[in-house]
Amino acid sequence: MSVQTTSVEATIRRYILESFLFTDDESQLPDDASFLEEGIVDSTGVLELVMFIEETFDISVEDEEILPENFDSVTQLARYVHRKKESDPT
Amino acid sequence: MEQQTKPVKRCTRCILPETFPGIHFDEAGTCQFCRRQPGPEKRTERKARLRARFEELVEQIRPRPGYHCLMAWSGGKDSTYTLWLLKKQFGLHVLAFTFDNGFISPTALKNIRVVAENLGVDYILTKPRFDLLRQLFVASIQSDIYPPRALERASGICNTCMALAKGIGLRLALEREIPLLAYGWSPGQAPLSSALFRTNPSMLRTFLRAAMAPLQKATDGKVQPYFPQERHLETAQEMPYNVSPLGFLEYDEASALRRIEGLGWQRPQDTDPNSTNCLLNSFANQVHLEQMGYHPYVMELASLVREGYMSREEALSRLKVAASPEVVAAVRAKLRIPHRWRQQPPGDRQ
Ligand SMILES: [Zn+2]
Repeated sequence: MSVQTTSVEATIRRYILESFLFTDDESQLPDDASFLEEGIVDSTGVLELVMFIEETFDISVEDEEILPENFDSVTQLARYVHRKKESDPT
Repeated sequence: MEQQTKPVKRCTRCILPETFPGIHFDEAGTCQFCRRQPGPEKRTERKARLRARFEELVEQIRPRPGYHCLMAWSGGKDSTYTLWLLKKQFGLHVLAFTFDNGFISPTALKNIRVVAENLGVDYILTKPRFDLLRQLFVASIQSDIYPPRALERASGICNTCMALAKGIGLRLALEREIPLLAYGWSPGQAPLSSALFRTNPSMLRTFLRAAMAPLQKATDGKVQPYFPQERHLETAQEMPYNVSPLGFLEYDEASALRRIEGLGWQRPQDTDPNSTNCLLNSFANQVHLEQMGYHPYVMELASLVREGYMSREEALSRLKVAASPEVVAAVRAKLRIPHRWRQQPPGDRQ
């Protein structure tokens, strides 16, 4: 089964806006805004994000995969989810 | 003296006030945090999964020589109970450490000595020089050194203490190659998502940079000794797991208290009911309330209500506890806070 990148991105964006920025104003979150450097997501927040994507996209995130390059922006995270889904189609 | 109190609109399920950042209520008056709260089955399932993972981890660690677990022990009731659990329920060889911020109540320090002995655990007390701590605490209240989200669950002063305690703990665990780093966060203090996790050097570098930056700035770069350095990360054979057992184990405040009182722990009479160890707490809460317009413990208490650990009435009554003027005055004097912070009438506490 293939996952549409756009819908993954939209789901992630909505979650970040609602849970971390408390807004539904899309312009507050550019696709490549750095979650970590801009203080949008802190160390506890990253783990909330991990739980969210595990449950939403039905994937299992390994501790070693919780890396800045996978979790630092909407684009990167969507790309990571996409890769996981493709490597482990269920 | 009668104080004029203005009514604060609160979520009808938990206790979050209208002044909480980004909050919105539906027609029933329920906040978005309550609406998004997963049902009890989901939470039970998550907890069971975490518990199973933790038990598996304990099985792997227990046969090893040396310390199995480093416990961040404030001497308060939750961390003391967690210490008991790790040692007695899980049979781990625990090293406890206490970060002394200069304001641990004398009763809490006595509790630490008595309980460590009665429970049979080694412990380390880390006490950074007070002039440095003072600089950090003054900076924590005088400027907006933390992003707003960091202040939703804790005051600026609490954030500073937590950053130091976590930094010291992580460094100790890495230096002594201890595989497990435990915290006594209660169910309301830490989300389930962070109750058990292992970080990796690359993510840790990013978070350490973020955690240290405001503290380094406030002290001209003097907080290095309290945080892991690049060499610790480079040479680490394995990164420690972080665990907050109270997040996923059965937790009942009354039985936890009975258990630790059996170890000689006594409730300090000199702190406020939201903290059983720290004299700085009520001052930190007061400053936060005035600056942010909501109580720094409101999110924690709201979570406890939402998850059924505490009644709404009990949570509201904890918010209304006024800081002891003597304790606050002593804290101000010790920190040499240059001007008087305006006192907030108790009815306005949110
Ligand atoms: Zn609510």
